[in-house]
Amino acid sequence: MAIDKNNTGYTFLFSIIMVLIVGTTLAYTSLSLKPLQKKNEADKQMVDILGAIGVTTTRENAKTDFPIYVKERLSIDSDGTVLNNSSGNVDPSDSSDPFNLDVKKDYRSKKPASELSFPLYVCESELGDKLYVIPVVGSGLWGPIWGFVALESDMNTIYGAKFDHKTETPGLGAEIKDNEFSDKFKGQKLREASPYFTIIKGGRKIEDMHSVDGITGGTITSVGVGEMIDRTITIYQRYFMSLTNSSAN
Amino acid sequence: MSTENSKSTLKKESLFSKKNRMLLKDPLSDFNPITIQVLGICSALAITVQLQQAVIMSLSVLFVMISGNVIVSLLRNLIPDRIRIIVQLVIVASLVIIVDEVLKAYQPDISEKLSVFVGLIITNCIIMGRLEAFALANKPGPSIFDAIGNGMGYAWVLLLVSIVREIFGSGAISLPGMGQVKFLPQDWFIASGGFYENNNFMILPPMALVVVGIIIWIQRSSNEALIED
Amino acid sequence: MEYFSIFVKGIFVENMIFAYFLGMCSYLAVSKTVKTANGLGLAVIFVLGITVPINYLLENYVLQEGALAWLDPDFATVNLSFLSFIMFIAVIASMVQLVEMIVEKFAPALYGALGIFLPLIAVNCSILGGALFMQERQYPSIGEATIFGLGSGVGWWLAIVAIAAIREKIRYSNVPAPLQGLGITYIITGLMGIAFMSFMGIEI
Repeated sequence: MAIDKNNTGYTFLFSIIMVLIVGTTLAYTSLSLKPLQKKNEADKQMVDILGAIGVTTTRENAKTDFPIYVKERLSIDSDGTVLNNSSGNVDPSDSSDPFNLDVKKDYRSKKPASELSFPLYVCESELGDKLYVIPVVGSGLWGPIWGFVALESDMNTIYGAKFDHKTETPGLGAEIKDNEFSDKFKGQKLREASPYFTIIKGGRKIEDMHSVDGITGGTITSVGVGEMIDRTITIYQRYFMSLTNSSAN
Repeated sequence: MSTENSKSTLKKESLFSKKNRMLLKDPLSDFNPITIQVLGICSALAITVQLQQAVIMSLSVLFVMISGNVIVSLLRNLIPDRIRIIVQLVIVASLVIIVDEVLKAYQPDISEKLSVFVGLIITNCIIMGRLEAFALANKPGPSIFDAIGNGMGYAWVLLLVSIVREIFGSGAISLPGMGQVKFLPQDWFIASGGFYENNNFMILPPMALVVVGIIIWIQRSSNEALIED
Repeated sequence: MEYFSIFVKGIFVENMIFAYFLGMCSYLAVSKTVKTANGLGLAVIFVLGITVPINYLLENYVLQEGALAWLDPDFATVNLSFLSFIMFIAVIASMVQLVEMIVEKFAPALYGALGIFLPLIAVNCSILGGALFMQERQYPSIGEATIFGLGSGVGWWLAIVAIAAIREKIRYSNVPAPLQGLGITYIITGLMGIAFMSFMGIEI
């Protein structure tokens, strides 16, 4: 069977067949695996939120542990008005559930804050303290970084944090994922105004309550962490002010 | 009848023939992808900060190389010359994407570790280089050996560089599943009143190049034939 | 002003070779003489300058979630980004095939000198890296995306011509025999990388 494989017609035919085979295989794989992948992502999100408030859980148990510690989920707009709230088990298909707000997508869309809504998790620690968990998202060196920052009921002291990234350099920027980095945030406090918190590279004073040390060799990622915390807290401040005002009344 | 029998035994013998053994052995030293062929450098820099990353990367590259080599070798008589680069790339990219998607669904923890590397594996010059230089012109059997040989050649350089960088740069060693383990006693460090400090340069990518340069130095000192003019 | 900033950043602050270490294979192998280095560098500028804008169009009108809305409003939820890698690579590979044909026709000596590294531009991590960075950073216009592509290309060209120039000079130095050629190049590139780190974090 001597096919002239360099014949133009054959080349076209081969390309078309290849595109069809590859396209269908990839599309099929992606579509059929999507529900499982989405479930894994939701589980991971729950693990991370719980991690920020100091609760260690696994992907398998996340679903049951989540409603125990996360009492309420709110979505607020940039003026601080509450738009939606949910509680109890999470339904991944419920688009009104603040848990399902895709903060990463919103960040990438570069829409102004006034057009977006932001999730807020009202939680209870293992000791019964009220905690607020805020999702943060920003840019590292190679790609997006994100995480959750947990504030105590005074809305000023950081109870804990958990960060993650997509493609930061292993051993450098990727260290933001390690507890060694996120543990530094415990007990630190936000400032009264922007910059609410800073990641300092070199020369940080140990007594400084409003910062943590950056990662050696991971400057850009560390700066990214500081920037995303600052930008996000600025948005949530309106809501926190309204809470303090209403409780003062 | 007897000639047919001897023919078939001849075929079986060639599985571990001298030629195939050379395919396995050469890339480990004289024909090493990183130090001689100059392929696969990009990944060697970012990945070698920790040993566990190097291990995962090496295994992934090995897997993709073997499957890629086999598929291209099987299709070698059907691929038109003019689009051969595109075809090779598409095959490798599809393999990697399928592996990534399957891992994301069934092994999300491993997938997380690997997602950093996905782009790096697809553009790993070793995979493309060997497809172009070998699999396109050889049968699947030898192609598998070529893939294994080059994969291992790539792996040992990667592992060696990452061991050096992690030990001197972080004072630790890490393995997949084990995480990073710092083995130097804490009171050696200056922060605790000692004398030792980690070499932070080692964590930075340029040092990987220097370490590979030194490996080349050692390799070529022991084998004069490899020295360039 | 934005264009200037992106362009200069691509050359120095975010140099493909020295900041991101992408595209090292061809960089190390083809830098023996300034002439071949220059040839390959120009080819990379061309390929980056063309593929980044094309991939930009692909990303914004086909791949992104909701990108297909211009075709039919019903397609607004379609997300084809799992095809990103393949489509970017297909575009890149086609462009490289085009460049290969042009070089073979108009500069056959260069074609011979570059050997396997001309088709390997397609797999050059810096080209795919350029497309992926463009996707990640979401430049607002095709103009900025193109300038980014050109800037990164020029940065890569600068890096390879610089190392080639150094390599030509050190042939007359007393480099220990086992380090000659590839070994010393690795080490010098490492040193240049450290030098370029001084550009990191500069805001233009």
